[in-house]
Amino acid sequence: MDSVDTSLKPAPKRFTKTRGKLAEFFLMLHRIYAFILRFFKEVFLPPYEFKEIVKQCYETGVKSFTLITLTGFIVGVIFTKQSRPSLTNFGAESWLPSLVSIAIMKALAPLVTALIAAGKVGSSIGAELGSMRVTEQIDAMEVSGTKPFKFLVCTRVIATTITIPLLATYTAFIALLGGYLNVSQNEGTSYAIFMEQAFEPLTFIDFWASLIKALVFGFTIGIVGCYQGYNSTKGTEGVGKAANGAVVTAMFLVFIEEVLIVQMAGWFR
Amino acid sequence: MDAAENKRSITVGVFVLLGVAVFVIGVLTLGGQQKSFVKSITISSIFSDVAGLKKGNNVWFSGVKVGTIKNIHFTGPSQVDVIMSIESSTQQYIHRNAGVRISSDGLIGNKIIVIDGGSPQAPPIQDGAVLQSEKLLSTDDVLKTLQQNNQNLLAITTDFKQLSKQILAGKGTVGTLLADSTMGNQLKQTMRNLQAATQNAANMSSQLNNFSNKMNTKGGFADNLLTDTITFNKIRGSVIRLKEAADNASTLTDNLNKASNKLNTTDNALGVLLNDPKAAVKVQNTINYLQQSSIKLNDDLEAVQHNFLLKGFFKKKEKAKQDSIKKAM
Repeated sequence: MDSVDTSLKPAPKRFTKTRGKLAEFFLMLHRIYAFILRFFKEVFLPPYEFKEIVKQCYETGVKSFTLITLTGFIVGVIFTKQSRPSLTNFGAESWLPSLVSIAIMKALAPLVTALIAAGKVGSSIGAELGSMRVTEQIDAMEVSGTKPFKFLVCTRVIATTITIPLLATYTAFIALLGGYLNVSQNEGTSYAIFMEQAFEPLTFIDFWASLIKALVFGFTIGIVGCYQGYNSTKGTEGVGKAANGAVVTAMFLVFIEEVLIVQMAGWFR
Repeated sequence: MDAAENKRSITVGVFVLLGVAVFVIGVLTLGGQQKSFVKSITISSIFSDVAGLKKGNNVWFSGVKVGTIKNIHFTGPSQVDVIMSIESSTQQYIHRNAGVRISSDGLIGNKIIVIDGGSPQAPPIQDGAVLQSEKLLSTDDVLKTLQQNNQNLLAITTDFKQLSKQILAGKGTVGTLLADSTMGNQLKQTMRNLQAATQNAANMSSQLNNFSNKMNTKGGFADNLLTDTITFNKIRGSVIRLKEAADNASTLTDNLNKASNKLNTTDNALGVLLNDPKAAVKVQNTINYLQQSSIKLNDDLEAVQHNFLLKGFFKKKEKAKQDSIKKAM
C-alpha cells in the first residue's frame, strides 16, 4: 500500500524556532531527495501513462501559454525600455539588442517562465494532489490496483519537464520580439539587424545552458508540486499548505539552481 | 479516445512542435551567426599579448566577419597561440603574407581579430597556416598618448590664460590694440593707408599691364628687341664695342696711373720738378734771372727803336696802323 512516508515526518520541536525551521528545511530537502529517487525508479518502468502525460502537458503547457506569452512580451519591452537610459548615457544605444538578448536568453526567459510556472502549475499540482491525498483518493487508487505515484507524480513531472523548456523558448522568442518592437520604435532598427545583433554575443553554451536550466526548472516545479501535494496532511488546511509550499519551495530552488547552472556553464566557456 | 481528448492531443502536439521549431530556428540562427554550419579552415597566429581575447570572438577581414576564435592556449613563455576558424569561401582572398592583429569592435566593444594586408603575389592561405601577428596597440598605450596630449593641452591653456590676462590688462601689442582707442584710430588710419597703397598697387599693376601690352605691340622697340634678330645683333655689336672701349679706358687709366706714379718719383725730370725742393729753388732762381734778363732786354730793344738805323721801319709801321683805324671808322 502506497501511503505517506511516516518515517520522514517533520522532526519534533526540540530546537529553537529558528533552528527548528532550518532543520525542517533540511529534512524537507531529504524527503524531496527520497521522493526524487522514487520517481527515477518508477518512471522507467511500465506501464507508461502516455495519455495522462499528454493531458498534463495540456494542463501545464498549453494552458499556461497565454500567460507566459504575455509575461514574456512585457519583460522584453520593459527590460529594453529600462536599459535604454543607461546605454544612452555613454552613447551605446546600438548595444540594446545585444544587451536584451543576453539578458533574455541567458537568464530571464528560463527564470521568468519557471517563476510563472511555479506560481501557476506548481500550486495547481500541489493543490490537486493535496486534495486527492486528504480525500483519500490516492489511497483508493492504491486499493483499485492503479499505481498512484506513477499515474499522478511521474506524468506530471514529465509534463512539466517537457513543457517548461518549450514555454521558456516561447518566452525568449516573444521577449525578443517585445524588445525588437521597442528598439524599432525608438531607434528604427530593422528586424534583420536586430536579430543579427541579438544573436551576435550569444554562443551555443548559452543556448544549451538555458535549455538545461529550463529542463531542471521544469523538473523541480513538477517534483516539488507533486511532493507537496502527495505528502500533504491535515485535511483542507493541508491542501492550502501544499499549494503554498509548492510555490515557495519551487521558487527558492529555482533561484538556487539558476546560480549553480550559471556557475557550471562558466566552466565550459 | 473521445473528441475532447483528440483535440487536446492535437493542441499539445502543435504546442510541442512549435516550441521545438522555435528552438531549432534559434539554434540555426545562432549557428549561422557563429558560422558553425559553414565549411571552414583553421589558421593560427601567435601573440605575446591577446588583451582579453576570448574563444568565440569574431575574426574580421576587410571589415567583414569571416570566422571566429576556436581556441586560445599558451605555447611558450609569453606566447599565446590563437586558433581561428575561417570560412572556406574567403580563403582565396586571404594571402599568406597577411598580418593579424587584435582590435576591438568599437571603442568599448568586444575584442576581435583583424586580418589585414597581404599581397596577391603571395599564395592564398591553406588549412593550418600560421599568420604573422602584429604588435597590439594596447589601451594603456592609447591612454599614455592621451595623457601626454592632456598635459600639452593644459600647458597651452595655461599660456592662453596668461595671454588673455595680459590682453585684458592692456599689456602687449594686442592688449594695447584692444584697450587704447588712439591705437585703434591709428590702426584704422593705417588700414586706410594700406587700402590706398593697395589701390595704388592696383593702378600700378594696371599700368604695368598696359606697359607690357605696349611692349608686346608688334614693331615696337621691345618687340624688336625680343623678336628681331638683326636689332639684337646690332645691340650685341654695340655692347661688344662698348666693352672694347671700356677695356681701352681701363688700359688708359692704367697708363695714367703709371704716369702719375712716376710723377711721384725723382728719377725723371717732371718728378724732380714736382718733388725735389732744391731743384725748385734752382728753377725759381733761374726764372728770377730770366725776368731780370728780359727787363734788360726790353730796355735794350727800346733803345734799338730809337736807333737811326731802325727808326724808319717803326715809323712806317705806326703809320699803317693809323690808316687801318681810319678806314674802319
